[in-house]
Amino acid sequence: MSVWASPLGGYPRSRVVRRALRDYERGLLGYGELERVVGEASSLIIGSQLSSGLTYVVDGMVDWHDIFRPFIESWRNVTASGLLRYFDNNFFYRIPVFTEKPEASKLVWAPRVRRYAPLAEPSGLKIVVPGPVTFTSMSINKTGYSNEELAEAIAKLLADEVKAAIEAGASMVQVDEPMLADHDATRDEALLAVELVNSIVASAGGAKTALALYFDVPRGEVYDAILDVKANCISLDVVDAPERALKLIESKGFSDHCGILGLVNSRTIYDDPVDKLVEVALRVARSSKVGEMGVTTTTWLDLIPYSYSLRKTYLLGVLTLKIQENVGVAGGV
Amino acid sequence: MGYSVPRKFPTTVVGSYPKMPSALEAIKRRRSGEISESEFNEMVKVAVRDVVEDHLWAGVDIISDGEQAREDMVVYFAERFKGYSVGDWVRVFDNEYFRKPVVTGRVEWLRPITVELWEYASSISAGRPVKGILTGPYTMIEWSFDLHYRDRRELILDLAKAIRREVEELVRRGARYIQIDEPALSTRPWREDAELLKEALDIIFKGLEAKRIVHICFGRLERILPYILDYPVDQFDLEMKNSNFRLLPYLKEYGYNKEIGFGVVDVHSFQVESVKEIKEAIDKLMKTDIVSPEKAYIDPDCGLKRLPRDIAKAKLKNMVEAARQAREEW
Repeated sequence: MSVWASPLGGYPRSRVVRRALRDYERGLLGYGELERVVGEASSLIIGSQLSSGLTYVVDGMVDWHDIFRPFIESWRNVTASGLLRYFDNNFFYRIPVFTEKPEASKLVWAPRVRRYAPLAEPSGLKIVVPGPVTFTSMSINKTGYSNEELAEAIAKLLADEVKAAIEAGASMVQVDEPMLADHDATRDEALLAVELVNSIVASAGGAKTALALYFDVPRGEVYDAILDVKANCISLDVVDAPERALKLIESKGFSDHCGILGLVNSRTIYDDPVDKLVEVALRVARSSKVGEMGVTTTTWLDLIPYSYSLRKTYLLGVLTLKIQENVGVAGGV
Repeated sequence: MGYSVPRKFPTTVVGSYPKMPSALEAIKRRRSGEISESEFNEMVKVAVRDVVEDHLWAGVDIISDGEQAREDMVVYFAERFKGYSVGDWVRVFDNEYFRKPVVTGRVEWLRPITVELWEYASSISAGRPVKGILTGPYTMIEWSFDLHYRDRRELILDLAKAIRREVEELVRRGARYIQIDEPALSTRPWREDAELLKEALDIIFKGLEAKRIVHICFGRLERILPYILDYPVDQFDLEMKNSNFRLLPYLKEYGYNKEIGFGVVDVHSFQVESVKEIKEAIDKLMKTDIVSPEKAYIDPDCGLKRLPRDIAKAKLKNMVEAARQAREEW
């Protein structure tokens, strides 16, 4: 079994980035200088992942205010409005308000990929997009179209994003649908999400693709629908509610997908119990019979301070190495 | 000077209010070590006076100090309890960050925290009661990092004991309304978490001679409603407007029998609700036949801190007028 690692998503901002963004917003810093600061910070974050031996790395997305914002700012017919709590975190996102079906005015990922993919070598650069069902359900829909129609329109733009990012050199595409892990998510929502995620990952060519669910563990009937997704991998948080997560995996497995396990807790700052987590990974490997395992963080790393995000990156590398020693071989790009 | 709180539909606030410039300056100077805690409180009193004036202008019956001293609802207490350390920066939204506290030792109450500003607000409130408002133990643990206990129950119970000491100080000095804020509870709506908080509230409220209130907002409260209804409180103060009063049928279904703090003003919207709109919300509560007018406290969904001051004032003014009209009808 091949085993590889990748952080789930974005990183927190260092002090330098926070100050640069603040100065930029106050008009004290030009866009070019902000770009330079963000570029340096992203390079350092990529470097920390490379030195930890991670197979797929992210650029850190340190200039994103939340997972939806860069897309809102790159699309017409949608704006960011008031703040709302982001799942069960003490973090708030700005609610997207759609007034018509969105249209892209520029691409989010392709320019970033051109900039950072060369720095990520020999690892691959992963891009992350918000899933259309999560995007729609966390937005206000004033378009006059149904939520399903809005989600389809979003999916189309995300598919274009993915296609351009792959052409620019991205190695992996992850679609985040944390809403599907919510206790109230329905099978119908899961079916819609699967259909739309399939349309997005179809644009990824031969790159590795994943559907990521986190902040909780999906209910059985939702997960049954998710197992039909055409992404290569399914990513689950197995630390936040370990018994429910392991019960789900042991009873339903990952079908023919590679399983990505959120093992390093990215909402706490203590060192994760690596040996105990190796046991969890072995338990999953035995029960689900996956041929390929990804190891990741429970959620994005931007909910903890910057210094701890680097520590967690290191621990992710150590954990993956130990799992590899026990169950298999290192996975490569 | 006495003030008679209306028997029906008394109006109140959840607590926080837009930060006045003097409060922001005081927080900044205290953080940089330029001023002591007592100098800090003196500076903040200028802001508290502004808040109280706004509350009185709007006609709110049970007011607050606007939580002007609180940079953040968790950080404020963490910086003043023993056992917490100043944390590193974590984002709240956009490029706004706070120092997320870290529990690094046994949590203990050291000295009165909120009392001085509560007393000051009471001294200028024209007799209107001022709520004593404290961040609850569940929210304290959920929105801090823990490097000491690594056992949530042990930590929450120690926090409850520390909060209890502060509550005792407030009640000893005359506070008649004690509110524990638990916004984190509805974000993790699991039975075991609800039961954990009940254990903590038993410590905080046991034998207390004051109105015992728990404020909970947003999230999926309906999931844990059956497990919180026997909390040792007189009143649940609930966000209702933002979620379009979704919770009302659940309250009816579960035979809700406590007082309710009924959120009629959306704190996430800059649009000022009209008197008519707020009155209709109160009518909706009455028509659902859950509580009597004597058990319905009318207030915003949550703290008003994220609104511009003029909008916050206008919302309170309309709320008070709607409650007055409701008193005539119900």
